[in-house]
Amino acid sequence: MKKTINIFSTILLVLIVSGISVIDCEAAFHLFDNKLRVKGSIYEFMMYRTKVKDDEKQYRDTDWGLMRTKGTLEFLYKAVEKENLQVNLFSFLQYWHEALPDFDDEYHDSITRDNRKRFQGPSYDQDDWINEMYADIYSGKWNIRLGKQIVFWSEVEMVRTIDRINPLDLRYTTPGIEPWDEMKIGLWMMRGFYNSDLPGQLVFEWIWIPGDYEGVRTPREGSSMGAVPGPQGKEDLRPRAFGLGAAVNEQWRKSQPAFTLSNSQFAFRIRGNSEVALLGDYYLLDWTVSWYHGMNNTPVAKSSKIETINQYNFNLAIARVFGGDIPRVPGGLWEYKFFDVIGTSCQTYVPKLGAVVRGEVSYEIGLPELKADPDSSVAPYMRNITGTTERDVINVGVTLDKPLKSNWLSQRWGASGVFDCTFGWFGQRRQGNVSRIRRTFAYDDRDQSNFTLTVRTRLKHNSIWPTVRFLYNTRNWGYGVFAVRYTPGKHMRYEMGYLWFFSNNQWHFREAYARNKDSIYFRIGYEF
Amino acid sequence: MRRTIVSVLSIFLAVQCFASEVTFPVPGYDAEELQKVRLWEKSWNNKKITAENVDQVKDFVHEGVYTAIKDPGIFGAKEIWFEVVPYRPYTLSKGFIEATKKYAPTSHLDEKEMLEGYGEVAGIPFPQPKTGIEMAWNFDSNTRGDSHHEIQFGTVVDCKSGFERTSEQHRWELYWVGRYDVSPVPAIEKSKNPRGIARSFFQRMAAPADFIDTTILEIKYLDPHRGEDLWVYTAMFRRIRRYANNQRTDSIDGTDMIYDDQDGWYTHLIHNTYDYKGRADLLAARHQDSGKLEKAEGQGFWNGFQRERVNHWVVEVKNKDKNYIYSRQIWYLDPETWQMNFKVMYNRQGQLWKMYEMAYDELPSYGGQTTPIFNSEHIIDFLRRHGSTSVRNIQSVGTDIPLTQFRTKSLKEKSY
Repeated sequence: MKKTINIFSTILLVLIVSGISVIDCEAAFHLFDNKLRVKGSIYEFMMYRTKVKDDEKQYRDTDWGLMRTKGTLEFLYKAVEKENLQVNLFSFLQYWHEALPDFDDEYHDSITRDNRKRFQGPSYDQDDWINEMYADIYSGKWNIRLGKQIVFWSEVEMVRTIDRINPLDLRYTTPGIEPWDEMKIGLWMMRGFYNSDLPGQLVFEWIWIPGDYEGVRTPREGSSMGAVPGPQGKEDLRPRAFGLGAAVNEQWRKSQPAFTLSNSQFAFRIRGNSEVALLGDYYLLDWTVSWYHGMNNTPVAKSSKIETINQYNFNLAIARVFGGDIPRVPGGLWEYKFFDVIGTSCQTYVPKLGAVVRGEVSYEIGLPELKADPDSSVAPYMRNITGTTERDVINVGVTLDKPLKSNWLSQRWGASGVFDCTFGWFGQRRQGNVSRIRRTFAYDDRDQSNFTLTVRTRLKHNSIWPTVRFLYNTRNWGYGVFAVRYTPGKHMRYEMGYLWFFSNNQWHFREAYARNKDSIYFRIGYEF
Repeated sequence: MRRTIVSVLSIFLAVQCFASEVTFPVPGYDAEELQKVRLWEKSWNNKKITAENVDQVKDFVHEGVYTAIKDPGIFGAKEIWFEVVPYRPYTLSKGFIEATKKYAPTSHLDEKEMLEGYGEVAGIPFPQPKTGIEMAWNFDSNTRGDSHHEIQFGTVVDCKSGFERTSEQHRWELYWVGRYDVSPVPAIEKSKNPRGIARSFFQRMAAPADFIDTTILEIKYLDPHRGEDLWVYTAMFRRIRRYANNQRTDSIDGTDMIYDDQDGWYTHLIHNTYDYKGRADLLAARHQDSGKLEKAEGQGFWNGFQRERVNHWVVEVKNKDKNYIYSRQIWYLDPETWQMNFKVMYNRQGQLWKMYEMAYDELPSYGGQTTPIFNSEHIIDFLRRHGSTSVRNIQSVGTDIPLTQFRTKSLKEKSY
């Protein structure tokens, strides 16, 4: 942590000293004869929980859910600017501190020490403070990017289907509140593009991730977006950190794959832009076809360690309920397995609808899964693991972007008068027998079907941005976000919103589990 | 055989005779009118026009400008003023003149009011127009040097509160057809333009901070029934998003300008009807030194416009869509280049809603020539007391811009 702070201090000092030659500070600093561009931001993000239930209140002194201060710095240095060769060096650095555990003692004690340390700052991995850092090289039709990067392959919003390269950090909030580029976890990779002159303006893209693996970071047990530590122990032992959730996280962490070439992940994509005439209208299709070979972002139990895992989890539960020492977490219990995803996406404007239609489909081949006894009387997420298997999964997402215009509104309150509406449907189908699959969420579900709606408009000449986002799953869970962003001038940014979660069964999906996490949130920031 | 040769020769001679009737460039004033203008200028040259003396030149000031000068508080200013400068005819490029003389004699509109041969001709098609639609085609045919690259510094101003938001963007614009200066003329080869692109722009934002590297690509096609294609790469979301072209009446980044307003009128002419309303001798900024522009914080209207007398062609424009955001527009077109010097827009209740003024200057362009191109502008909203100003730092005019820049793949290149 100190090391990271020192690096940031050094960077800031360099900026201040070189500020003598600052040309323009309206939006970004341009230094060294415009060769270096520096931009950044600092934000305070606070969430206040409005529906904390009694069983959770005992783990909290306050109803605050998050108090995170985050600073980012982006550097873009034009290292080579020749006619046939351009090299840009880009880095996006970040630092944050989540302060809530510092003044809420009960909250502090609900999260394990290690998890708390990793949760409060960019210290889950030693390079967490680097969101991106790469050399971007252009020569003729070739473009090579070397370094830590974030890849965006998706066309649709809110739900990811083919966009699988970078895992997400979901510990602090849900997608839609924070920008994707700050929720995705960067990976060290080599990424190349070849811009061909073939019909359809084909662009060939490939990615090689030589062993840098990151799992998805789910909400930490004991934290505001996570579960309370469970099973709950005796009252005089509450709060007591390290429940089953923390144990599983720690087991996974200790089993994380090594940074070796044998753990390389690969991806390939072709992007094209083709014109089709149909029924008297032109359709310009932006399409992609992709393949991804990588590790699943959650592991499966090693066959030889299944008994150890079951026994450990049982011992931990006994220790928590009846008192006793928390057993030490053994390593090497889980393994991260490879699987493949074939995907395709397309977007086009459809004149007859006056709307842009986007769609994507992915077919996951051999997705690693855990097995459990389907006849057990225990809830599926509690069942003993009996083995591992693989399943294929189909994901589909379709959205329709339709601007709705109000001439009446366009002449009032500096409004744009346009409501940008996005209607979406996302489906998932799991192939094969699902009753034997052990999952924490959606354990017996073969199909998932989500409907989404996003409506945005702008008031006061784009200084006020009201947004509503809504996701409804046909199993009667979902969430809504009501937000207003205010950008009065060049630098200050304000945002306020309400997060509403609902579900009739919290085990239906990860987001369904958040059913009592309703919050008001505030975000105040300075961009430069 | 002999008869055929005679017929061909007759047609050729007839065309040549007709061609010889084309007068271009067309001066803004004939000799007698110019004498009167010069006489008037003797009293007003280099004079600063303010609220105190604007009534003396009221006949040559548009109602919108007059209102702003008389009541500057509406636009967040203590004083709004401009300077009178002498009328100066433009020096048009050799290619512009030659293309007009070559193609204008045979120009005519089909039954759908489309210019015959559109995409294969260049120059001003109707140097001596008779109808509103011919004037509109003249306006549409000015390619402003065929290509240009500029850096725009824009300010969105809430004149009531004084709040300002600024933006900066690099913009590259290319005409694929109707070209008269930069080879190939009059159009990019069809083999390199299989989709029939008429015009395209590529724009990358450099401010505000949260929109840095957000990039826009818009393509306008030759086919008048085909809407523009618009893609936006939003750096914040790292995605290339296709936009619906029926969002064209949406305001651009909170300014008072809608997408259709760009450069006066950005999309196809076929969407409107055009009614010629006569001539209007009004002051307009045709030779603007952008360094002389100034405004106070919170002011949505430039001070320091250098206006000269111009005898504009006035065209009333109504959209064929009855629900269009403007009930009508009045275009004020320059008699020499057919550039739009300014326009006013009326809301659906018939009230004067907005005014868009473009200030031009003759800038170095292809082959050491000059091309009039606008280097600053303001668009003001009379009803909501709001204004948007911008200065355009023109980097180049009439240069080769690689066609590959106008592909969607370019949106993400070198953007972070």
